[in-house]
Amino acid sequence: MTFLQRNPDIVWRHEKRREEQVLKEMDAGKDVEERGTVILLISGMMHQLNLLGGMIWNLCDGTRTEEQIVDCLLKEFDVERNVLAADVAEFIEDLLQREWLIYG
Amino acid sequence: MADTITELFSAPLTFNWTLSYKCNFTCSHCYSRDEVGEELPTEKIKQVVDVLADRQVPFINFGGGEPLIRDDLLEVTRYATDKGLNVSMNSNGWLLDHATAEQIQQAGFKSVGISIDSAVGKSHDDFRNMNGSFERATAALDALHQVGVKTTMSAVISRINFKDFHSLLDLARKHKVSQVFLHNFKCSGRGFKNREDLDLSPQEWKEFYVEALGTKKVTKDLLISFDDPVIASLPGYDENPMVKGSSCGKLSLHLRPNGDITPCGFIPLVVGNILTDNFEDLWYNSPVLNGMRNKEAKGKCQGCGAYQDCLGGCTARSFATTGDLSEPDPHCWK
Ligand code: SF4
Ligand code: SF4
Repeated sequence: MTFLQRNPDIVWRHEKRREEQVLKEMDAGKDVEERGTVILLISGMMHQLNLLGGMIWNLCDGTRTEEQIVDCLLKEFDVERNVLAADVAEFIEDLLQREWLIYG
Repeated sequence: MADTITELFSAPLTFNWTLSYKCNFTCSHCYSRDEVGEELPTEKIKQVVDVLADRQVPFINFGGGEPLIRDDLLEVTRYATDKGLNVSMNSNGWLLDHATAEQIQQAGFKSVGISIDSAVGKSHDDFRNMNGSFERATAALDALHQVGVKTTMSAVISRINFKDFHSLLDLARKHKVSQVFLHNFKCSGRGFKNREDLDLSPQEWKEFYVEALGTKKVTKDLLISFDDPVIASLPGYDENPMVKGSSCGKLSLHLRPNGDITPCGFIPLVVGNILTDNFEDLWYNSPVLNGMRNKEAKGKCQGCGAYQDCLGGCTARSFATTGDLSEPDPHCWK
């Protein structure tokens, strides 16, 4: 199966108010690369995912392939498909290795 | 974390929830035993769970009082776990036999903590004013383990156990416990009244923490946890907590039996009520919570090199002894 799914043991929260703030900052031309919008709690440690990472994380609900995730994100970001696809692939690869994402 | 708490967090991660102040014990250090208060009926408790689920609070920890005194505890837990919350509780273990352990497992509890203050049965029983309580507490740990519920053990550090906390760790190993909490002594409720007899001196606290942190570093088979922010001032302290200073009001809040919110069970300042006030408004705008999140260095904390990490230590203890959230922690050895 190629549907991407979050590891069900990971406790996480989508910080929507923060995301709205980060989107505003992005529209104002600020660098938001380091600004977390999703928090993950793993073995007593907190990790944050930035805007793109958080959006990918939210989309990994076991109903979409990587391709479909890129399709969804293209509606949000004004970039070339291949550029976005490369970023998404890199992020997903990293999280698969950490076992934070799995194939469902 | 460079960001302030509410810039990132839209709610705490944990609600420590006192469903009832009632208890079958009368422990010498208890913060809640002398309290009385109206309790919410089951339907209202479920409404509180709805609010927590809506605010995406991931963890609830039932404490007390003794949570198992409420006969709707399992029903409420099932309701909360069905909504995706991670539920745990702290119990004295007296009411927790094998049949109850099975029900706890079925209700979806993620873990259960049993309070044990000494590895010597008689000392534990004396401290808890309850003969046979040690036996029942350890039996509760075994029963939970048998049905596959993760167990933790909690000990409040005081004069009766600070010298032999190692034996508490051995006890935990014997009963297959996965994590041991060595709690700081909070000076509220009975703990405050009995603190002359129970509390350590600042120097003794320092010695205890130096040794306990050293043990934690070399212990691989058991997770050892502390909740005392003042340890951040020890040289070589290299843990990486999610927030500096006390976590209450930042990562956690406390609910009283009537739904009143306080920063923690040891700070008697009501922030508002979870059922009658708007939670978002309280979380972002409460002067008490904002006061705890933005403490000012006072007294000897001014100019202390550890302030950035310690933030004046345990806010509950400062408040209990001075009435001021920002005064230095009375346990501080500096
Ligand atoms: S410490 Fe716990 S077990 Fe002891 S009296 Fe208080 S609530 Fe009951
Ligand atoms: S003086 Fe204040 S900041 Fe420094 S270690 Fe003591 S409590 Fe912490």
